[in-house]
Amino acid sequence: MISNIMTMLRKELIDAARDKRSVMAGLYYAIGTPLLMCGMFMLLIGQMSSPEDLNIKIENGERAPDLVKYLSSQGITHGDDQDKSLDVKDIRLIFSDDYAAQMAKGLSAEVTLVADNSNEKLQNSIRRLEKNLQTYSAEMGSLRLIARGIDPRVVQPIKVNVEDQATPDSKGGVILGVATMTMIYAVFISGMNLAIDTSAGERERNSLALLLSHPVSTRNIVLAKVLAVTVFAMLGLLLTLIISKLSYSFVPWQELGFTVSISTNFILLMLLIGLPIAIMAASLQLFVSFMAKTFKEAQSYLTLVLIVPMMLSMAASYNIAPDTLQWLPVSGQQQALIAFIKGREIPMLQLLLSSLTTLVIALGLTFAMEKSLKSEKIVFGL
Amino acid sequence: MIKVSNLSKRIGEVQALDDLSFIAKDGQITGLLGPNGAGKTTCLRTVFGLLQADMGSAEIDGIDVAKSPIEAKQQLGLFPDPFGLYERLSPREYVSYFAELNGLSRVDAKAATAKVLSQLHMDDIADRRCKGFSQGQRMKTALAQAIVHQPTNIILDEPTRGLDVMSTRVLRELLKELKAHGHCVLFSSHVMQEVAALCDQVIVMAQGKVVAIGSPDELCEQTGKDSLEDAFIQLIGTDEGIAA
Repeated sequence: MISNIMTMLRKELIDAARDKRSVMAGLYYAIGTPLLMCGMFMLLIGQMSSPEDLNIKIENGERAPDLVKYLSSQGITHGDDQDKSLDVKDIRLIFSDDYAAQMAKGLSAEVTLVADNSNEKLQNSIRRLEKNLQTYSAEMGSLRLIARGIDPRVVQPIKVNVEDQATPDSKGGVILGVATMTMIYAVFISGMNLAIDTSAGERERNSLALLLSHPVSTRNIVLAKVLAVTVFAMLGLLLTLIISKLSYSFVPWQELGFTVSISTNFILLMLLIGLPIAIMAASLQLFVSFMAKTFKEAQSYLTLVLIVPMMLSMAASYNIAPDTLQWLPVSGQQQALIAFIKGREIPMLQLLLSSLTTLVIALGLTFAMEKSLKSEKIVFGL
Repeated sequence: MIKVSNLSKRIGEVQALDDLSFIAKDGQITGLLGPNGAGKTTCLRTVFGLLQADMGSAEIDGIDVAKSPIEAKQQLGLFPDPFGLYERLSPREYVSYFAELNGLSRVDAKAATAKVLSQLHMDDIADRRCKGFSQGQRMKTALAQAIVHQPTNIILDEPTRGLDVMSTRVLRELLKELKAHGHCVLFSSHVMQEVAALCDQVIVMAQGKVVAIGSPDELCEQTGKDSLEDAFIQLIGTDEGIAA
């Protein structure tokens, strides 16, 4: 009877809405995670974009005045590391004693670059310095050839034109890939507390036996609970999406050279794709919680069980084994989302198949739960 | 009417129910009396379909509970042990929820709930959240949901556990009223006084078996004792597990 399911669903939702723990869990995640992500991105951007002026330690700079002048024109200057107001990087550029002599004779003049290449904070600066040195060297080389009456293009047999197809939106895709992972996680987290409370919790509070003594089938009881948890999961997802859309607009993405925006289309697509995942998350969480004897035990089990979908989601974000993952539930849908973000065509077949698999899993778990509630072990937590 | 025929159930090593048979008639209060561990709760749980018996059957108004659980439960109201309330709901919400689950429409459920809450003198707490209720208030709430849909059969498992005198009296009056209206009332207890005061028929149980069936007077006659308590001890052979 549909009316039975609706009656139970209404009660579950009212009861859950009054449960501070369940509501706080959903809100905390939905609001906190996008804000944390933004904060993290802002820090990341600050770290990655190189400041205009690069201060390094140049030793024996007087031996190569022309190069030092060139570097200055590119924003790279010698900084006195006793001066605390300057941010002097731990990079030393040492000109050899015979630099000037070698340069004049048309030979290779030695320059030594001393720095810790494994230090992430220095990597950008080191590369910038190296690039500038190479540019200078190439310029010098061309001048030397011209002086000897040779066209420099003789030593540049292949001219490579790189036509980068990446649009600003598609570059931002890597970041949105990680963001979609947090959104998929929202589906699992938002309903988790309710799932435990309405199964293991219901048993602990001794109301499960009473519920089962009424003329309602275990099927309807299970369906109502799955629906209730799904509602919470979807609400959490929606809230995460809205907060993300608002907060991401505050991050200075343009400094990385691309844009990251959460469009309404993306939100709608995410909600549509998220629905089967929410149903599966609900049935999985309820199924596992019914197996546990107490609320706390259910929490422990769920933390372990949720590692699987999370690993799938993470692998999809970081593009691990994409050919296998595109067919699997959770990762398949996430890959489709990432494709949409990057402005590419959505792989419809993979998306449909992974969504179908997700729904089949949900159905299987729901059916298993229906059966298990007829067993004394599950009802009494033996 | 509740009919139990040759009910047997083994739980682990223990034979919890051993060829149990009895009939609880309409318009009568039947008491299931026995020491702790006799199998009273197990028997009742089998009757309302929470447990499956290994052998035998339980019928509510002629409907086999194992074969047609939903139909059987429609004529049943249950006060279980232990009973759990939904702490975040008020008694009114709690009772009308179960009324709806028993097939009443939203409107009818509300009306029936209001009636039952008055009957049990619960109007002052009807809209407070159940969290923090005293034992008596909790009992009344659970009792309300058992009778709100006017079922023919009402089963109560240890209904007076932890109740004070006033609440016990309310319960007693209610059960008598239900009997007067023709309902079948079956309750389990190990409290002598209650059983003696209320029951038309007493089923004495020990170790999963029926030891004796009869009215309190009949049992006294049968054993040649003056009080039900003495009769009971005589019948089951030990005074372990009884409360006065």
